Amino acid sequence: MISKTSIKAIALKEYKHITRDPFTMIIALVMPLILVLFFGFVVDLDYKHIKIDIQDNNNSQMSRRFIDILKSCQYFTINKVNSMLGIKSKINRNNTSAILIIEENFDRNIVKGNSGKIQLLLDGSDNAKAGILNGYLNGITSSANKIYSKQLNMQYPKELIRTRFLFNTELNSKWFTVPGLSTIVIGLIAIILTSLTIAKEWENGSMELLLSTPVKSIEIVIGKIIPYFILNMFSILMIFIISLLVFKIPFESSFFIYSIACVIYVTGALALGIFISVVTRQQQAAVQFAFAVGLLPSFLFSGFIFSIENMPSLFRYFTALFPQRWFMEISRTLFLSKTNLKVLLVPFLAIIIFAIFVIILANIKFKTDMEP
Amino acid sequence: MRTSIIEVKNLNVSFGNFKAVDDISFSVKQGEIFGFLGANGAGKTTTIRTICGILNPASGQIYVYGKDISKNTSLIKNNIGYMSQKFTLYKDLSVKENIELAGTLYNMDKKRIKEETQTLFNLINFNESENTIVNNLPIGVKQMVALCAAVLHNPDLIFLDEPTAGVAPQIRAKFWQLIKIFAQKGKTIFITTHYMDEAEYADRIVLMQTGKIIAIGTPKELKEQFFKTNFYKITPKYGNLVLLKEKIQLSNFADNINYYGNSIKLILNNDKKWQQFLKEEKNSIAYQIVSPSLEDVFLKAVSGK
Repeated sequence: MISKTSIKAIALKEYKHITRDPFTMIIALVMPLILVLFFGFVVDLDYKHIKIDIQDNNNSQMSRRFIDILKSCQYFTINKVNSMLGIKSKINRNNTSAILIIEENFDRNIVKGNSGKIQLLLDGSDNAKAGILNGYLNGITSSANKIYSKQLNMQYPKELIRTRFLFNTELNSKWFTVPGLSTIVIGLIAIILTSLTIAKEWENGSMELLLSTPVKSIEIVIGKIIPYFILNMFSILMIFIISLLVFKIPFESSFFIYSIACVIYVTGALALGIFISVVTRQQQAAVQFAFAVGLLPSFLFSGFIFSIENMPSLFRYFTALFPQRWFMEISRTLFLSKTNLKVLLVPFLAIIIFAIFVIILANIKFKTDMEP
Repeated sequence: MRTSIIEVKNLNVSFGNFKAVDDISFSVKQGEIFGFLGANGAGKTTTIRTICGILNPASGQIYVYGKDISKNTSLIKNNIGYMSQKFTLYKDLSVKENIELAGTLYNMDKKRIKEETQTLFNLINFNESENTIVNNLPIGVKQMVALCAAVLHNPDLIFLDEPTAGVAPQIRAKFWQLIKIFAQKGKTIFITTHYMDEAEYADRIVLMQTGKIIAIGTPKELKEQFFKTNFYKITPKYGNLVLLKEKIQLSNFADNINYYGNSIKLILNNDKKWQQFLKEEKNSIAYQIVSPSLEDVFLKAVSGK
């Protein structure tokens, strides 16, 4: 039999610990705010004004038109060159990111109805940038194709390869990072703060006193989780509102489903924090452990910064072990697309299994005796 | 004869290969102040924790209120009070919040918590605000409040693990007054300490060393058991204490010669030589017969002589 009054008493005590400790309050309320503003305003994974050299070997009306189209979008800063001399060192010194060469017969080929060829040399050392640049240029050439064909009043020239980004057509990085932030924030609050709570009780000896009272371990755990759960949901809500109002990120699907996902994921994360706390029993060890299994994977293996698709296959499978990856997928999908739930079945199952697994593990490991 | 409230039989507690408690047996009678003495690491805290049900014994039986604790954990936890050695109260909570938490965990309602707090606070002369954060209390008051939190649910059996460690002497005295009051109310007190002078207040004492009980009995019994004769306390009227000690040692009439304040304490072993020494030195020394202290008992018991 679980006593509600005991749970309430523990929860109330924990609430007071939280509100009276500036460190906890900063992590819980200020950090999410800083993170969301940092990733929203400062970290810009979009590339604008990319320096690009153009060698126009055609120098016709048509090729100049093409360069004008490039100039007119704000992605590029264009520098016309006449030869490829010194291009390597220019790239090495980061003076340019790419060289675009327009072939001699560019206009003639188009008029004939063949493809006008352009050659793009990319700086491959920053492959994220190269990928994005390639994407931009594909988009531009295809619109150039349309303009030319209209101008020449002829059927379309052969289409170049087109890359289309399905949900984030503008490839706007804010739309990508900000919805994923809840994952990071839960990593912070749920895993790190919770991992400290039980370790703290062991460290200052209060666990001994709690255990000597008739209170049950499950009552301690539930009582401790409740305030952190509320704190977590509050932070998520805060990020959600900022995402919509400040960063104008569209939320395309059901808020209800998103809430359910948050509840499941937060529960799993809290259980993980408790598990860490129960196993380590020391605050310092708990924090290190929490960073290793909680926070780092949130950044590294969730797809938040490094896209999972681009990882070597071994790592791709490895990321499946982390619920952060699955919650990230749910979060982004729900924000950016109208989707039917079938797509999210696997991610949802993954976070549910994780939560149940960790709760059981934490319960097994929770010791009700003082043995060192 | 009073009934036993705690009955420990052949208790063993181990941590890995380390035997913290090594086959001890004893019983505590209802209403007595039962003192547990020993150096750090002797196994006092381990014994208390095991009786309170927060450590599992390797073997042996423990009966509290006549019931096997391994089968009646929650019943026993409801009816004992425990004040641990390390932790007393949550420092970031107020006095009231700490007390209420303790009471609620013992399933007390608000009204009863208030009444019991009132009674206890009168007893300890608590005159600070109940809303004071514990961290801002003087250490002595903190310990007093911790005691109140431990006995708020009015248990008949109270465990106090070194409650007076690091507390000023006048607070220690006050603490013992409280313990006596509880004992007069019929409560059984199980207390550990390493202050030997405090142990004199206990009805019965256990001496522990490296997990084993080396002596058990009332303070008087223990003194008689370890010392057949009384101590002599010799004080120089003038002159040097060190020289006096050397002189006594040379005269060869005593054992256990030790400094004791501004005197020398010893046990006679040769009355003839003592009389002669007294005759020679009667103008320069004064002497007094004193009974052995528990400290003497403890030192002798530990040295195994």
